[in-house]
Amino acid sequence: MSHADPTSHADPTPDPQELLVCRHLSYAYLERHPALDDVSLTVRRGERVALLGANGCGKSTLLKVLDGLVFPDAGSYTAFGAPVTEDSLEDEQMSRGFRSRVGFVFQNSDAQVFSPTVREEIAFGPLQLGLSRDETAGRVDDVLHMLGIPDLADRAPFQLSGGQKKKVAIATVLVMSPEVLLFDEPTAALDPRTRYWLVELIERLGTAGRTIVHATHDLDLLHRIADRCVVFSEDHRIVADGTPEEILRDRRLLVEVNLVHPAAAAVG
Amino acid sequence: MTGADGSHAGAVAVPDWLVQQDVALCPCGCVGRRRKASFLTRTIRGGSGILQQVLFGEDVAAAPGLLQRIDPRTKIVSLLALLVVAGLAHSMITLAALYALTLGLAAASAMPLGFFVRRVWLFVPIFTGIVVLPATLSVVTPGHVVLTLWHWHGVAEGITTQGLLAAARVVCRVAASISLVVLLTLTTPWVRLLAALRGLGVPRIVVLIVGMAYRFVFLLLGSVTDMFQARQARTPGTPRHDGTARAFVGAGVGALLGKSAQLSEEVHHAMLARGYRGDATTLERHRLRAADLGYAAAVVVVAAALIWGDHVLVPR
Amino acid sequence: MHIPDGYLSPQTCAAGFVVAVPVLATAAARVKRRVRTRNVPTLAVLAAVSFLIMMFNVPIPDGTTAHAVGGALIAILLGPWAAAIAVTVALGFQALLFGDGGVLSFGVDVVNMAVILPFAGYGVYRLVARGAALTARRRVLAAFLAGYVGINVAALCVGIELGIQPDLFHDATGAPLYSPYHLAQSIPAMLLAHLTVAGVAEGILTAAVLGYLQRANLPLLRVNHPGVPVDAAAADAERTRRRRLRPGVVAAVVVAALVVLTPLGLLAPGGAFGEDSPQDLRAALGLAAVPAGLAHYSGFWHDVLFPGYLSGSPWTYIVSAVVGIVVVGLVVWGAATLAVRLFGRRVPVPPPAAEREDTVEQVTDGPAR
Repeated sequence: MSHADPTSHADPTPDPQELLVCRHLSYAYLERHPALDDVSLTVRRGERVALLGANGCGKSTLLKVLDGLVFPDAGSYTAFGAPVTEDSLEDEQMSRGFRSRVGFVFQNSDAQVFSPTVREEIAFGPLQLGLSRDETAGRVDDVLHMLGIPDLADRAPFQLSGGQKKKVAIATVLVMSPEVLLFDEPTAALDPRTRYWLVELIERLGTAGRTIVHATHDLDLLHRIADRCVVFSEDHRIVADGTPEEILRDRRLLVEVNLVHPAAAAVG
Repeated sequence: MTGADGSHAGAVAVPDWLVQQDVALCPCGCVGRRRKASFLTRTIRGGSGILQQVLFGEDVAAAPGLLQRIDPRTKIVSLLALLVVAGLAHSMITLAALYALTLGLAAASAMPLGFFVRRVWLFVPIFTGIVVLPATLSVVTPGHVVLTLWHWHGVAEGITTQGLLAAARVVCRVAASISLVVLLTLTTPWVRLLAALRGLGVPRIVVLIVGMAYRFVFLLLGSVTDMFQARQARTPGTPRHDGTARAFVGAGVGALLGKSAQLSEEVHHAMLARGYRGDATTLERHRLRAADLGYAAAVVVVAAALIWGDHVLVPR
Repeated sequence: MHIPDGYLSPQTCAAGFVVAVPVLATAAARVKRRVRTRNVPTLAVLAAVSFLIMMFNVPIPDGTTAHAVGGALIAILLGPWAAAIAVTVALGFQALLFGDGGVLSFGVDVVNMAVILPFAGYGVYRLVARGAALTARRRVLAAFLAGYVGINVAALCVGIELGIQPDLFHDATGAPLYSPYHLAQSIPAMLLAHLTVAGVAEGILTAAVLGYLQRANLPLLRVNHPGVPVDAAAADAERTRRRRLRPGVVAAVVVAALVVLTPLGLLAPGGAFGEDSPQDLRAALGLAAVPAGLAHYSGFWHDVLFPGYLSGSPWTYIVSAVVGIVVVGLVVWGAATLAVRLFGRRVPVPPPAAEREDTVEQVTDGPAR
């Protein structure tokens, strides 16, 4: 459980294995509704980290901070050794490097799939990051085949089912081949088949050495898609950090943070 | 079972009336009065109508045909040229020739002709025919009275030649113009139409907004339909046109605005996350082929011929 | 309200584009400055909302339904410039996707529904809601009037655009080439439908949504109302600091209204009643002689600046008109100044700074996760 301890990383020269480093983050929406309270977290290369917690505990907000979309009111966030702030992302070079190394699959696929066709949607990221049109087109085809959806290429997003939309959303991120993948509730509202497909994909990406951080309250599949769990309390703090086995064994903790129903805990 | 009162901790307290197995508020058969479609039905029907229309359009656009093979930019420019011809024409013969041309193009583009004609002429009589009918009368268009209907201070009033000509001309002009636009939109997939606008120099940002708005229409359309159907399901009898109905529409649009504000924020994040910095690059790229140039040349020749013929027919 | 192709001459359509394009360019620049990268999704969503609003059937009191445009509503929520762009895109969909409204006449349609409607509506809203708290009932009334007046002003413009066609464009026999109705027919036809049905629908929609947002989503309402106090108590405190009636503004508004309404004069056939010259009057009524009193006093005042509007070239006519406008403006200004002197005893205090330009940035930063 040493990862959550910020004091052990006071060393000014960053460890190249530590990709994302958050120290004492606090954030409140509209400066009134707290979402993160003194959160420290270090994500190392190749780790698969699950953020656990009840609805509204701050998992999604932390993912948005990790992706440089919202910026903490207090505390610092460093990615790949460089500080990520609103200011530093204004820099073209920094922004391009950061955006191509970190990919984010949003919970709401509708928000992520905004282009007129699937093909253009997947091409959006690489084109913004300066890849040539030919290379982009090649990559788009590769990703479509990899995910088994080449027949969707020229469809409009409104003609897709929920599961297909999720696959397209994942394709839009994979096409940029990011080192770090952030997933917000990836398995929520998916049918069982798509859900298992996604779990297998995350496993494959993990063995390919990608770093994965995902927010979830899907405890059944935790052992397959995470080798480290970080648990949020309902007052927006990190209360535990350990392997899935350790966390799942601690029923009292899970009830306390509202991840399992007391009745179920009693039975289990 | 951990709750002090023997129930599950945190279980929802269900009121008695919801647990009872009795009939609902009103035990009803099918004896209610029926009235013409309410505002709910009309709105829901409008929504599904849009979807149907778009899906049908995509089918036609995918069919093999003459216009489907032409580059959308060429099609847009030639559409504009022919629309201007329709606008400038004075003679009925010119307009009729133009309309015949659209029929020929429709037939060559694998479009069911009956559908094409219906689509145009269902629209024309309603919005144009009835509107211009009074314009045939001498009170609107003074001139030579051919059919006297009444007398006013000893002056014959009725249908005038000028009025008939004006009305016929407007109807034909509108029919030809609508046919031209329908030809373009039915033979061009929406995405390629957008790309063509970009290719014709419409700013990239505008094209991006239009493309995204198209996407959101369908997303929000789903919410709207859900909202109306939910109310329909909860409204026994015929929905009334009263204050509550108006409040419902207000709340509906209000909720829609709130939802779309949230959506735009999320989409903004999704765009930033993939490297958007305020100026989007897009994939589209088209090359003009010989067929396009041929079509464009043909359109120019036809347009010039029509204008010239019109000047011969109606000297000015 | 959507004018299809064929009703307007290509020249009128070109004029429509000449007006619409620079206005939209300005709108895009202004909105872009205010919302930066967020402009694309925000405007796209608004355009979709406007399109759907045109689909919402609003029940109106007589038991039928009508649909609104939503231009006034978006103008109230995000400003008239954003509304201009949103409604334009929605109109583009209708023209290209559904054949509603023309392609050549697109520019004119944009001017009517995407420019005139939101700006007129927003002006009325600002005027009526001035100084009212954000949750005040008066804002609901202001919203109704904004929608009602906005759509009717737009309808008036449609009537004028259609009505000038037969006079400007007709063939040798006098048969009109495009829309055949004269101003005297097209304006009443447009206004009748909009004053009674469509205007009510737009007004109801705008008011109902504003009322709903007052109860359910104040942050969204606050976006375009920076510095407006939320409740009545705060509004009272604010009002005492407000500036008073400004005579210059009043004069400008009155003159502008008169200028805009001037084409209505074309409606009246013949001369104005009771203004005929003595000779014309005698001829019209078949009198034996001009009545003695009329003959005596009609020549009483003849030392005028522009006799007979300097009749001759149209330029002198225009000069007379400009001089007249200036004189009317000065008179109204004088009257307003007098009114302020007599009745406005409050101490003028400069208005609070920071009144705008802070806007859409926070539309959506709600506590969404």
